[in-house]
Amino acid sequence: MGQDTAIDPSRERVPRRRFLAVLAGFSVVSMLAMVATPILGFLIPPKTSGTTAGGKILVGKVADIPPGAGKVVPVGSKPTIIVNTEQGMKGYSAICTHLGCIVAWDTGSNTIVCPCHDGRFNPTTGAVVSGPPPTGLVAATVTVEGDEIYVVST
Amino acid sequence: MAVDAPPTRQGPVDAWLEERLQWRALMGTLLHVRVPVESKTLFFGGITLFLFGVQVVTGTLLALYYKPTPAAAYDSVLFITSDVTFGWLIRSVHHWAANLMIVFLVLHLLRVFFQAAYKYPRELTWVVGMALLGVTMLFGFTGYLLPWDQRAYWATVVGTEIAGSVPMIGDFLLTLLRGGADVTEATLSRFFGIHVLVLPLALGLIVAVHLVFVHQQGLANPTVPEPRPPAVPTGRTKPFFPHYILEEVIAWLFLLAMLVVMASLFPAGLEEEANPLQTPAHTKPEWYFLGVYELLKHVERIVGILAPMVLLVILVLLPFIDRNPEVRARKRPLAIVLGIVGIAVMVGLTIWGYYS
Repeated sequence: MGQDTAIDPSRERVPRRRFLAVLAGFSVVSMLAMVATPILGFLIPPKTSGTTAGGKILVGKVADIPPGAGKVVPVGSKPTIIVNTEQGMKGYSAICTHLGCIVAWDTGSNTIVCPCHDGRFNPTTGAVVSGPPPTGLVAATVTVEGDEIYVVST
Repeated sequence: MAVDAPPTRQGPVDAWLEERLQWRALMGTLLHVRVPVESKTLFFGGITLFLFGVQVVTGTLLALYYKPTPAAAYDSVLFITSDVTFGWLIRSVHHWAANLMIVFLVLHLLRVFFQAAYKYPRELTWVVGMALLGVTMLFGFTGYLLPWDQRAYWATVVGTEIAGSVPMIGDFLLTLLRGGADVTEATLSRFFGIHVLVLPLALGLIVAVHLVFVHQQGLANPTVPEPRPPAVPTGRTKPFFPHYILEEVIAWLFLLAMLVVMASLFPAGLEEEANPLQTPAHTKPEWYFLGVYELLKHVERIVGILAPMVLLVILVLLPFIDRNPEVRARKRPLAIVLGIVGIAVMVGLTIWGYYS
């Protein structure tokens, strides 16, 4: 073989070692992505339709919640607090907007109170009265039919 | 690290192992090294490792009876506590060893901080140690839910809600931790799997790396800065084995006795079974999360979540931020004062949270 067939390394546009290093790096990244994708996908649970179908749900009798009283009731898997106020029966999501604890009715202060960080809410509007919650409680639609209390589930 | 000559005395077992594994050279490398006599580790790191061993043993035993479903978890913990022979002891030792593991890990961290042992050439050992702190906190967080009582359930609701409030990735983190939108049986399965499989493997591996680093670098001398480049210690030294190890094992035995006394006098409690419809009045997390919990009561939620995260990042990067080579406490007043203020704030918030 003549000398003119030999490849001059200085004329290579991408040196061989560098090319192999890039190829090896790409293979490692691809392999990690291939392994990580199904693992991450598996860790995120599939979306379910939820446990409530919607519609009106019977949550109790008016006699259970006399004027000036309040009670946490389950609406599907979500708790709702019903308070018998001077403006009628009011309902809110019982999940505190601060860190997710379940609020309760406090007869002494006439407020809805969160036991975790002592956040307090107005029973008539659901607005924050004091404490760290960033927003008021989410209102629920409550209807009274006869002596029965219903919450409209969404 | 300076290596001692291996002992010359040999028995039949020693000779048998030597012929097959070059046993003496291995032991010589692992054990027969010297440490500066000025080193005062106070055995905090070794005790933390010992407590991890206690957790592996007691945790494995508890897993033989524990049932990780909401319907059965609470009753299985009651069964362990009331019916299984020595069940109360195993569970209470697991409970106390978990608490003491965090106590000694923090003491170890403080010792390393005040003796400036995180400085050159031990920066990576510090970073790996911080990873151990993170894994240990995750152990506490995931293990806490397993009894499925009111305190466990609501501590997890609040804890995962805090994770869910992290900017950008909060929703993803919340779903990842809970296995859905709420704390349910999916959360219990995840926490159990993470607590008994993922975290022990992770901690074991990271501890191995931490120990290899410590072995390679030797113990820091708190009285003189490390020479650059690293050199064999020239001051007074003592053998790591048996001198140092003997003192360490005595500390471990003392801790074991303490654990049994604490488990007997103050057994692990159990509140009412978890009720997703009722948060108990004045519910609080375990003491090591109490400072952050109290902070969240007084500042905006985003501040209460980001402040501890920023502090943690600063702590991880400490060896790269504090470039002063000085190791003696009186010669580094800024670092010492900042350290003491940091401790005072955390202790103050924790005590405030306890009494509020």
